[in-house]
This record gives sequence, C-alpha cells and structure tokens, in this order.
Amino acid sequence: MARLTLKSIIAKDGIDSMLTSFIEQSGSSLCVEDVSGKILFGTKNGNNIFEYPVVADEEQIGIVKGDERANIIARLLNHLSKKESEKKKLGAEVLNLYKEINLIFNFSEKLARTIDAPAICIITLDEARHVINSDNGAIILWDESKKKPEVVVSSSELFFAQNKINHQLSILLNIISSGQSEIVTDTSSLTAAGIILPEVQSLIYSALKVNDRMMGAIVLGSNESMPYTAAHLKLLTTLALQASAAIESALLYEKNIRESREREEAMRLVYEATGKFVPYEFIRSLGHKIITDVRLGDQVEKIVTVLFSDIRDYTTLSEQMTPEENFKFVCSFNERMGPAIRRNNGFINQYLGDAIMAIFPGKVSDALYAAIEMQKQVDEFNADRIIKGQVPIRIGIGMHTGSLIMGITGDADRLDATTISDTVNIASRLESLTKYYKTNIILSDACMEQITDKENFHLRYIGLVQLKGKQRSIKIHECFSGNTEEDIIKKQKTLSVFNEGMDGYLNKSFNTAIDAFLTVAEVHPEDQTAEFFLINAKHYLKNGVPENWAGVLEMNSK
Amino acid sequence: MSKKILIVDDEAHIRSLIEQTLEELEDEGVEFLTAENGEQALEIIQLQNPQLVFLDVMMPKMNGMEVCRRVKKELLLEKVYIVLLTAKGQELDRLRGQEVGADIYMTKPFDPEVILDKAREVLQLEN
Repeated sequence: MARLTLKSIIAKDGIDSMLTSFIEQSGSSLCVEDVSGKILFGTKNGNNIFEYPVVADEEQIGIVKGDERANIIARLLNHLSKKESEKKKLGAEVLNLYKEINLIFNFSEKLARTIDAPAICIITLDEARHVINSDNGAIILWDESKKKPEVVVSSSELFFAQNKINHQLSILLNIISSGQSEIVTDTSSLTAAGIILPEVQSLIYSALKVNDRMMGAIVLGSNESMPYTAAHLKLLTTLALQASAAIESALLYEKNIRESREREEAMRLVYEATGKFVPYEFIRSLGHKIITDVRLGDQVEKIVTVLFSDIRDYTTLSEQMTPEENFKFVCSFNERMGPAIRRNNGFINQYLGDAIMAIFPGKVSDALYAAIEMQKQVDEFNADRIIKGQVPIRIGIGMHTGSLIMGITGDADRLDATTISDTVNIASRLESLTKYYKTNIILSDACMEQITDKENFHLRYIGLVQLKGKQRSIKIHECFSGNTEEDIIKKQKTLSVFNEGMDGYLNKSFNTAIDAFLTVAEVHPEDQTAEFFLINAKHYLKNGVPENWAGVLEMNSK
Repeated sequence: MSKKILIVDDEAHIRSLIEQTLEELEDEGVEFLTAENGEQALEIIQLQNPQLVFLDVMMPKMNGMEVCRRVKKELLLEKVYIVLLTAKGQELDRLRGQEVGADIYMTKPFDPEVILDKAREVLQLEN
C-alpha cells in the first residue's frame, strides 16, 4: 500500500484553498511542512513558535508551525489524515478481495477448458503454488480401482515419494484425513517415514472431496518454518473445492466414455456374430444395413445362381465315426468350403450337415469358379486325410440360375432368414444327378446361357433330364475344370468323339453312340460319364425305346 | 504536462477499485480523474487531456463505444489511449471496439496486475 503523504491530503478537495481563507480571515501566519521539512503550505515565519505534529497510522507525516491557532489546522489535518488512511486501508482490502475473486474466476475458467483429471490436477497445483508461495507441492488422489492413493502430480518425485506412501500409508492418512485443511508445522513423522523431503519444514494441505467423500488432497510444502497463514489456508480450500468438482466431473466423464466404448465393443461383437448366422449379403438384399432393421415379412425376389454341394456316400462315411468325430469332420470340411464361396462373391445360405447351399447374386461364372475352387479344396482335404490313413471323400455340386425369394419368415418371437424358390430345388436335384452321371459339377442350361466367358471353363453337354415332379426336361452340362489335370487333358482330347456319342444317343442312333463311347473309353477308360452313356445306349439298343423317346433321362428319385 | 488517467464507469466501486489498483502511480505524480457517465467523460477528456482512459462499455446515457467513437473519430484525439472494459462473456464487443478505434480492450473482472502494467506502459513510467 502506498504511503499516505501530507502533500496529497492538502492537494485534495480544495483543502489548500480552505487553509488560505482560514489564514486570511484569522490573520494568523502558519506553515505546513512534511517530515523532510519541505514547506507544503504557508511561509516560514519567526512567529511560528508552536509546533503541532500531523500523524497518520502512528507515524508522523508532517508538522504545522504557527501561533496557538495552528493547533486547529493540525487537528483538522490529523482528522483528514485519519479518514484518508482508513479509506486507503478499506480500499486495499477491497482490492485484495477483488484480486481473490479474479484469481478464482481465472482458475475456474482454466478448469472449464479441460475434462481430463490429470490435467486438472496440474492446473490446480500450478495455480496453488503460484498464489501460495511454496517450494514443493503435490496432488494425491485415491485410486478406487487400485485401492490406494496415487501421486497424480508432484513438483518433484522426491517431495512425495509414491513408493514410500504405499508402505507408510497410515502415517500419511493420519495426517491428511485428520482434518479438512490444515497447516502442519511438525513434519517430523513424515520426514522420518521418508514420505517427504527432509528440508520441508511445514506443510499446508486441503482435502479434495465431493459431498464428504474424500477424493484426495492437495499438499504444498515450504522449506521455511512458518510461511503459511490462515489466509493461505482459506485460499487453498477455495481452490481445492473448485478442483474437486472438476476432478469429479472428469472422472465421471472418463467412466462414461470407457463404459460406452465397452458397450460399443459388445455391440460390435454381437453384430459380428449375427453376421455369421445371417449373412450381411442377405440383409443387404432386403434393403437393410443392419440386422435390427429386419422385419417379419421382409422379402425380395432376385435372379441368382444357387449352388448345392454334398459329400458323396456321407451316410456310409458317418457310420464309421462317432458323433463327435462326425461333427469335427463336417466342421473342418466346411471351414474349407465357406471361404472358397465367399472369395467368389457368394454367400452361404445354409449349412445342412454335410450339404451346403450357397447363393451367388452376381455373375453365374462366380458360382462356377467357386465350384472349381471347392473341388480343389476337396483335393487338399483328401491329401490330409490320406496322410492320416483316412479314406478320401468326393463331393458333387449342382447349380441352377433362376429367380429366388429371400425373406424373413417365422413368427413375432422367432425369425428365420429363408429362401423360397424352385431354383433351390433344381440345384439340389442337379447335385444328386452327379452320383448317376459320375461327374463332379453339373450345371443347368439356364446357367450355361448366362456364362459369358465359357472359354475359361471345361464344359461338355451331357443331355436332357427330367427331374422328379417336373413337366419339362432341361439340358444339363458337366464342368470338369475342377478335375485332375490328367482327366482334363483326356476329356479334352475325347471331347469331339464324346459329343458325337451324345449326338447319336439323343438321336436314337445307339450304334453310333456305342462306337463313339467305346472310342472314348479306349483313350480315357476312367471317363465314367462316357461309360454311363455306353451302358444306357447298350440297354436301349437291346430293349428298344418308346416312339416318343427324346433322350430324356427321367429321374424318379430325388 | 502532468500525467492524467481518466477512469469512467457508472459503478462507483469499479471506479475506486481501478483507482486503488493504480494508487502507487499517484506517488509518481499521476493524477486520477473519474467520470460516471459518457457525457461527463467526453467533457473531461476535452478539458483535461488525459493520456489514458479506462472506459466501461455498458453505461447509461452514452455508452463507452460511443464515447470512444467520438473521441477517436470526431474529435480526432488519436493520442488518447483508450482501454475499453467489458464484461466477460461479451467478447464479441472486441470487433466493435476495433471499429470505434479503441486501442485495447479488457474484460471485467480485470486482472489488477494487467491494468497496472498497461498504465505504466502507456504513461511510460519505469516499473
């Protein structure tokens, strides 16, 4: 606070003119000097034999010299000095309060800018050390998950040693939790326990708490023995109160974020799992993005290629296995088939034991490439089985292109993603035909017509068939691209003779057919499809065929 | 010429707070003038030529913006350093403050140290 001077008092509010008129009217002469003897008012005069001091705050700030009447002026100046001094004191106090408000205002603004607990602690400690001059400082928070106090921020590692706190927790707690906030001048027990630096002479601390729940404490340390005052304690408590609320919010926020992340992750896992039960492709076809949007009765009709695959003689095979072995067998088989289908833009509509029903919404050749890859996978699967001394397996694949309804059936409490279509039945039956025709892959003419890159596949026409329950016969084809290299070469070599055989067979020229199939057998004795037609041709040659026979093979079994 | 600071605020406690903040400058010969509204402020500025004015924005009769505009744009008293004081949360005033020619703008509650430093800087007083 600036010192009160007599000069400023006289200068104020026309005091000097009052003095002038007093002197004029009273006819007395006087002079006013400050402590250094400098004349502030009036003139030095021999008659000034009386001296009256002017005092402010028990300190002389000047003197009035004159005759007896100078006493009145001295009393007036003393009175004004007293008033001025009081005014200054009050002003200084108000200013101090204002500074405090300003400090708290700025502090809360700083706190509002962060939502991170450690950052809040750093800001708080900085602010506290700035306003309460201290050599050291730390903020300790109780870690609920670890059930121990944690030094979140500290001016130096050694001021509050974390490892010592862990071991000497009780000593710290005795001091910290004894009160709300306090000044500690006896630090011997803490120093002895090694919790604080030996040079720390006194501590000031305030609890960080929300609704009487202790969260921790802010502690400042000084190397002096009596540096802290009640005003400091009050200020620290105010800072601690604000910091506590901010830390509490930050911790809550953190907890919310963490929990919502966990929920999101759980959701993601659920979606991932449901996606494995109901393919995303299926849901997308229904015009939805996520499974929760699916409703009972949703349906869509599409032209697709349906692929059916089945393990040959699975019944016989499974009889030799325990149910558990069986399950493992099917799983390891499906593990190979599924990716082959997805890699070629298909999705598995259903696993039906050893059978697989897959849908290809795009190009027909996708399905054909998938079928070939599945055959290759079976070869690899068999190589494994042979090493283990197990019998190799074979699969048959049938496919057909046509319209298909995908939809959600069931009832309000139990839904299922279903496909309803004759296309599925036909594909399934073509798959069954592979057993009779001794082929690996059979595709319908409907598929064949849609394949734009036939040159990429090895295909041959294998006649007409009337499926059970169907009025019209359909043309079918064999794809042997998935066969062994040797088989492919031989089938290519005999392709034209085979076609001649088929031609003869379908035109009831059974002799021509028999000759052709025999020629095929000479080059490729393992061509069981040719053998199948040779046997049929021989049969019809011997037993004759009806007048309206059109070469259609009637399949009465499924 | 003596150094003069004019403090303009309609609230008496703010006037005395600023005065109290700058009190130590009094010892260095700085004279304080006060005004409690815009009209009074304009009058004092023209009569007394203060070098520095702390000017509250929100005042009855004539607000601080208008006082500032008149001083800088009409009276063309470019050398008068004007500090506009505005309540926190009304920082949008800053742009308008620049438009009317204010030299700097500060928010209330003000930081006493900042105010004192600014006064010393403007009046070219040694710290």
